[in-house]
Amino acid sequence: MPLIVEKKPEVLITEDGIRTDGRGPLDLRPVKIQVGLLSRADGSAYLEWGGNRVLAAVFGPREVHPKHMTLPDRALLRCRYNMAPFSTPERKRPGPDRRSVELSKVIREALLPSIFLERYPGTAIDVFVEILRSDAGTRVAGVTAASLALADAGIEMRGLVTAVAVGRVGDWVVVDPNHDEDQWGDADIPVAFLMEEKEITLLQLDGPMTQEQFDKALELASQAADLIYEVQKEALRRPYEAVRLEILRRGE
Amino acid sequence: MERLRSSEKRGKVLNLGRNEPRILVANRDLVLPGQPLAVGPIRPGDYVYVDKRGVLRSTKVGLADIREGEIRVVPLAGSYIPREGDLVVGTVSKMAGNTIFVNINSAYPGVIIPPRGLRGRTRAKYNLSPGDLVLAKIKAFDGVSAPLLSIEGEGLGKLVGGRVYMINPTRVPRVIGKRQSMLMLLKSKLGPEIVVGQNGVIWYNPKSLKHALLMEQVLAKIERESHVSGLSDRVLKLIESSGIIDPRGSEAGEV
Repeated sequence: MPLIVEKKPEVLITEDGIRTDGRGPLDLRPVKIQVGLLSRADGSAYLEWGGNRVLAAVFGPREVHPKHMTLPDRALLRCRYNMAPFSTPERKRPGPDRRSVELSKVIREALLPSIFLERYPGTAIDVFVEILRSDAGTRVAGVTAASLALADAGIEMRGLVTAVAVGRVGDWVVVDPNHDEDQWGDADIPVAFLMEEKEITLLQLDGPMTQEQFDKALELASQAADLIYEVQKEALRRPYEAVRLEILRRGE
Repeated sequence: MERLRSSEKRGKVLNLGRNEPRILVANRDLVLPGQPLAVGPIRPGDYVYVDKRGVLRSTKVGLADIREGEIRVVPLAGSYIPREGDLVVGTVSKMAGNTIFVNINSAYPGVIIPPRGLRGRTRAKYNLSPGDLVLAKIKAFDGVSAPLLSIEGEGLGKLVGGRVYMINPTRVPRVIGKRQSMLMLLKSKLGPEIVVGQNGVIWYNPKSLKHALLMEQVLAKIERESHVSGLSDRVLKLIESSGIIDPRGSEAGEV
């Protein structure tokens, strides 16, 4: 028996729309991103989103092993989503399980339309998403980080992919559900967008919703993704801007 | 009648677009994947694609390069994709029968197939073993099967001694410079034995450990600062501030 037993909060959202963590229904948790911090990987990104800590690494295009998986006309995109044993309140048994196999598939398919795979025939692009600390919405955090790692690896892309979750708590549609809402809320929709054209590359629905609530949820997801997209772009630019500013400061 | 008029109108609108391209970025701006670069009649160059609505967008992180009638992106990230005619530095990885496999820092391993009927000195060139460093030219590459390398030619073949430094292949043009200006500078200041492979592998034979360390510093600087203009001046300043006298200068002094 764990020391602290999780219990459903008495109210998930008050009548004036205050959530258990003090946010309003449309507020995102703070997002912080750093790009290119793993020198051994071709591309990488580290993302903090609320309590989530996610590390994404990309290798490739590289030789395909095992060789028989080689595709003659395009690159092979492989993705692994993995939760560290210490990422959850109770130790998670290491290794792939049903959930992480599914999330690997879902993340791969969310990234797939963004990459020009046909420009790297006969190669493999490997994406690793490691969850160091989980706090609701790790799949959208994973997609958001992985897309940046791909851009950092210099793989040709149609654009960045940004993902965000929206949920329903009672009659409220809330953006970026927290742990409590994820656990005891009524519905949860993770959405990923190919940002420039706002094409949806991931859409899941877990729980009942009316048509109006769903439409509203998608609209809110789109607005929230815009905010995260700005953070993503800034993170991708930052290392280059830092060098430029440093040179300016030195007066060279 | 109505339909005709509307198609006329549409034609006019399209024509307007066709005559004047609208460029949405400045030259040498840092651009990101998916970022719109231009709309209208302008040719998409390297690392630019045209989306369904006719907007030209970047496919990589890089610098916008606007030219007469063309817009392209100079990439700042990415691995090496072989191109025919490129000079590359690689390591012999394995031998299989006659074929020599070479790791050229790419998703595609290179192969050297020695021509038949070679004897004596010409054959000796192909006496390579795993671990050997070679300078080779890409003779053929179709994008699917392994790139065919050739070591026939002046200066090509095994590289003996020296040191290797690896940089991102996207920075190779900056190490060479416009009309080889940067390479000439490095050769004149740090010794003439420098070979820059298009795959980002740089081989050099330094005069001393000091020269080697300075070379590493210089290459690291080029890799880090290649997206900011005025690179040659900064590199020259770094070399001069190191206190290492250029080899030709010191020789002249001793005479």
